[in-house]
Amino acid sequence: MPTSEATFASIDDVITRFAAQKYICSRRIATVVYLASHLEKPILVEGPAGVGKTELAKVLANALGHELIRLQCYEGLDEAKALYEWEYAKQLLYTQILKDKISEVLGGAMSLKEAVDRIALEDDVFFSDRFILPRPLLRAISAPEPIVLLIDEIDKADSEFEAFLLEVLSDFQVSVPELGTLRARHIPLVVLTSNNAREMSDALKRRCLHLYIDFPPAAQELEIVRLKVPQISTALADEVVSVVQRIRQIDLKKTPSISETLDWAKALALLNAEHLDEALLHDTLSTILKYEGDLRKAQDELKEYLQRQQAQRAAGPAHSDKDVLH
Amino acid sequence: MDAKIVEFTSLLRQNGLRVSLAEHMDGFRATRLLGLVDRTAFKDALRSTMVKRSVDVAAFDELFDLYFSGLGASVKASTTSLMAALQLDEAALQHLLDALAELLEQLDIQLSDLAHALLRNDTGQLEKQLREAAATAQVEGIQRTFQEGRYSHAMAQAMGLGPLAAELDALKARLDDAGLDPAQLAQLQRLIERRLQDLTDMIKRAVRLELEKRDPSVRENQRLHNLADKNFYYLSEEEIRRMKEAVAKLAQRLKNVVAIRRRQAKRGKFDVKDTLRKNLQYGGVPFKIRFDRRMKDKPQVMVLCDVSDSVRNVSRFMLQFVYSLQDLYSRVRSFIFVSELGEITQLFEEQEIGAAIEHALTGNIINVFAHSDFGRAFRGFHRDYLSAVNNRTTVIILGDARNNYNLPHEWVLKDVQRRAKQLIWLNPENRLTWGFGDSEMDRYLPHCDLVEECRNLNQLYRVIDRLVR
Repeated sequence: MPTSEATFASIDDVITRFAAQKYICSRRIATVVYLASHLEKPILVEGPAGVGKTELAKVLANALGHELIRLQCYEGLDEAKALYEWEYAKQLLYTQILKDKISEVLGGAMSLKEAVDRIALEDDVFFSDRFILPRPLLRAISAPEPIVLLIDEIDKADSEFEAFLLEVLSDFQVSVPELGTLRARHIPLVVLTSNNAREMSDALKRRCLHLYIDFPPAAQELEIVRLKVPQISTALADEVVSVVQRIRQIDLKKTPSISETLDWAKALALLNAEHLDEALLHDTLSTILKYEGDLRKAQDELKEYLQRQQAQRAAGPAHSDKDVLH
Repeated sequence: MDAKIVEFTSLLRQNGLRVSLAEHMDGFRATRLLGLVDRTAFKDALRSTMVKRSVDVAAFDELFDLYFSGLGASVKASTTSLMAALQLDEAALQHLLDALAELLEQLDIQLSDLAHALLRNDTGQLEKQLREAAATAQVEGIQRTFQEGRYSHAMAQAMGLGPLAAELDALKARLDDAGLDPAQLAQLQRLIERRLQDLTDMIKRAVRLELEKRDPSVRENQRLHNLADKNFYYLSEEEIRRMKEAVAKLAQRLKNVVAIRRRQAKRGKFDVKDTLRKNLQYGGVPFKIRFDRRMKDKPQVMVLCDVSDSVRNVSRFMLQFVYSLQDLYSRVRSFIFVSELGEITQLFEEQEIGAAIEHALTGNIINVFAHSDFGRAFRGFHRDYLSAVNNRTTVIILGDARNNYNLPHEWVLKDVQRRAKQLIWLNPENRLTWGFGDSEMDRYLPHCDLVEECRNLNQLYRVIDRLVR
């Protein structure tokens, strides 16, 4: 089976394997993925929300047959949450339970100093793998199999965390003071996503391949809709995509993403719709537009479009799939 | 090819893209890996390794096309212009070129490489020769438009345009004597003449191309720069549109700074008291460790915007700024005034920007056609809203302080300053005119923590920088 192979043979191989995972990608995306897997460099994916940045990592993991380890970033994320933490409560619990054993060890100690020395001899017990709580980054580095590491929404994390990531991303090693330096057995394929809430530091960018994913052109979006929502009719899929593409042209607070296009298509398929009409649009537009002002704007804009569409359908159904936008 | 990538990288750097050495080497490795067969893959490889900011992508695309296909495209374009000039389609032109080649063989005429490439329309060879000539003439040193002529001349010399012209003249003479069909002869003569002209054009274009490579971003920067310095007063539609974009960007930047600031204060110190209290249930064994949380310092802003006739053009932008500000922070209260004061917080929250500003300026909220009376407006503020000002509030006043010789009531500002965290006045008038005529700026000035002239985007940038610091 080709999917079990750990690397991509060519750019086309990336495209076909992604297509098998129901992910349609442009050649540019495929090129960057191919380069990343061969140069062993992280990919920094930027782009508007909902264009499939996170999905890319998931699909990449599936296509290579690797496990996906995900680190979701947020404000205040620190090393303890990202790398590892000592299980403090467990350590305490053990000391409580093992009180007798500890007194045994300490038994016969003549001075406080001697007792402390004896305890110090045993402290390895408490700072060992047993009490370490690995977080995504440590898991990624100590994984016995090659994995895909997704660091999602890195722009939400602090800049100090970003600096800390640099060490991990350039050498794929982390140092745990009590255990020493841990080196990755396999260089993980790293995907970082950013919504551009802030600019990433140059140092981080330098270590990554940069990929900007934008909204796809109409033809590609249509392909995606057909693939993901197979139950929808061709004509309706066409209408949905052209309406969404048109809405993206309007100046909105939040433009509809691909995932929202898919939601809308699914909703319409569920309603057994054949064509878009005003009533249907009015009822379902809220699946792609999430602000009242946006909704109103879009409805005004689409009224004209629908009228033309209707006139055309009346004139001759044969041309209904023609693009009437331009 | 390596040399070309090196040159291309330095070109990127010249155009203001930052490409580090490590990235440059990544670019090499990536292109090695992919080979040079697939042009788009080559381009994507260079882009993903060397261009890391999405704003730079457009510049990269432009430069890539200029650098890697500019000359080729120009040579190809010359074929098209040749066909147009001779009024031939592709097949007929090829036919004519073949006929000429055959004729030359018959007459046993040996042509120079250049003439051969030109008359066979060998685009690859032509491109190579142009490139070599450009290198010899050091065209890459070009920096200004007025140098075009000089470099064109140098390049023509490097290519040997003089000898070529003589050679082609000789060729024409030979053809004259060859006893050809007059119609065909005329066509061949035209072709040869035309080719010489084409070559001159190609040289000129090559020089122009070289200039554009160094130049486009410089020009673009220049344009933005000029716009940022321009007064709000004199702006065309197009400029207003671009200004809007800039204000939006500004708002984004403000947001980023605020977000970073908030994150820095994420976790406080170890809280002994709370830790002890929380762990009483475990018999004082500290299972749960507590840290004290720092208070988030949410900025509270109150903006008073003058919308009188004297600042009409500016107030639109000021209101835009106010709108972005209100979008940004949760605790912003906005007011407009001419002689009375009206709150527009609600309005700005509910309506989208264009409609809201329109609404604010139509006179439904306050009478916008009255004569400015800062004193009266301030007194109104003092009476109704002073209680809302506390030690975390930033009060911003946007206005020109032209008071129509009314009472200035500067004591209001004194009160406000005492209660507020800071009081900022942004004046769209030139600093030199403050205090002249009916301007009361001198009286208001001592009560403000920060007074800035704010007539254009650059000044606004500066103010915002200070505001969020």
